[in-house]
Amino acid sequence: MIRQGLLICLTFIPFISLFFVVPTFEIENNMAIVHTIGLIVILSGINVWLSMMCAWWLLWTDSRWKHVIEWLVFLPLFIPMLATLFGLYLILAEAGLIGTYVGVTLALLVVTIPYSIRLAYNGMAVIGRPLLEQARILPSRRRVMYVLYPLFSRLMRTIALFTTVILLSQFALIQLIGAGLIPTVTTELYQSYAGNNRGLALSNTWMLILFPVLLYFLLSGWDRYMVRMLKGRLQ
Amino acid sequence: MSLNVQNLYKQFGTKQILNGVDFEVKPHDIHAIVGVSGSGKSTILRIIAGLESTDSGDVKWNHRSLIHIPAHKRRVTMLSQTALLFPHLTVGENVTLVTRERSRKQAEHWLRVVQLGDRYDAEIHELSGGEQQRVSLARALAAEPELLLLDEPFTNLDPKLKLDLQRFIRDLVKELNLTAVLVTHDREEAMLMADQVTLIDEGKVTRTGTVAELYDTAPGFGDFVMLDGELRPLSEVEVSETTGVTVQLMKKIYRFGQCFGEYQFKDGRSVMLPTRESYQTGMIYRIKRKEE
Repeated sequence: MIRQGLLICLTFIPFISLFFVVPTFEIENNMAIVHTIGLIVILSGINVWLSMMCAWWLLWTDSRWKHVIEWLVFLPLFIPMLATLFGLYLILAEAGLIGTYVGVTLALLVVTIPYSIRLAYNGMAVIGRPLLEQARILPSRRRVMYVLYPLFSRLMRTIALFTTVILLSQFALIQLIGAGLIPTVTTELYQSYAGNNRGLALSNTWMLILFPVLLYFLLSGWDRYMVRMLKGRLQ
Repeated sequence: MSLNVQNLYKQFGTKQILNGVDFEVKPHDIHAIVGVSGSGKSTILRIIAGLESTDSGDVKWNHRSLIHIPAHKRRVTMLSQTALLFPHLTVGENVTLVTRERSRKQAEHWLRVVQLGDRYDAEIHELSGGEQQRVSLARALAAEPELLLLDEPFTNLDPKLKLDLQRFIRDLVKELNLTAVLVTHDREEAMLMADQVTLIDEGKVTRTGTVAELYDTAPGFGDFVMLDGELRPLSEVEVSETTGVTVQLMKKIYRFGQCFGEYQFKDGRSVMLPTRESYQTGMIYRIKRKEE
């Protein structure tokens, strides 16, 4: 009972104080919201697609390069994100992408993709190669629609949410690669902290909470609808 | 339609799994591949099913190479050790999914065939292990395969259920005129189910023949009897010297029946074994001493 209580306290303490301040409900920079939504959609999509493809390949391949590629892909998991930032900055600066939306997107992709691949790979391993093999006797469309999509939908949702949470946590990266020219909700939040505008900071904080929560409900609803629709076709 | 496995080679990493495997499966036969774990028998099945590539060699079905045909176009289905049913689908949906027209009617038919006609809407986790394996069989059959692959499908079942399902599948394969390849490490199982047997060791075929051919000559074959529905090693049998027509097993006396073939004991005595048909139908396995 004490353990459960402690766990609940630790989980909710960061959020309790949010109710002590009244948000301004003013977002000074609408472009920050547009940029953030754009990054969530683009990066979640690319992460889901790329990580599922890569994990699928890793799951099935007998290539002798498998372990080398596994090691390379998972290497950023052992190196702090900020340590990779400067190298990334130099490369993107060479390519003239500093201060651009594309540059920020690429930088965020580099830091999120190893986590996504790890999630996808582990998720597929839990489902198991033998079960996925059973699906291979089905024609490809049927295999994807009735087996792979329902089996992987939760995994894909987790990858999208995880990507969103990581990108919403990246202040230093967005500020450095975006050269202060690409505002997002995260950069706005830090600026409102710096300006000691607690009402605005709270508005941006609620925004940060709202994005993943809304995405979760959106993706869950979509999943439920799709799975019910597909199962209906088998009746 | 026959299956020809020709000169298969397969290596995983540095380990050579298959070393030129050759055998032929005759139309409508149940062909068992028998070997110990790691002998490469499951790899052969996976190559036939299209789940694994081969380094060299060919697999021909009705004289047509299957090697470059994707798994879903081969008309080959596989039954594995675990039922491997899709957990997000109900029993019926699992079967409907593989039918050509996604037809519930067909799925219900196959579920009736495996005696689970009333479980269409049941969730997978509501079924016992044996029932799940039967649904898996229904799914394999509903895909209308020409070749059925059985990859040790009875391993995780209790002895009674195992025997029932072995007989059930054998009868069904014969009734539907299918060709089947069974992979097993269990010689008794091979004997009970198969028409032809290939023995494999370290990726090489050591013997191929009918069960009767291997019965006397291949080590381990025929070294068991079935009595009162239980398989027992033949070494436990004592042949009565006096009457010549009875055997004693576990202190019980059994009278002899029809003969199948001669079995040579280590001490030089020989007995005649009954027909496989009587064995298949579950009658008491009777042993007769060789007539002088």
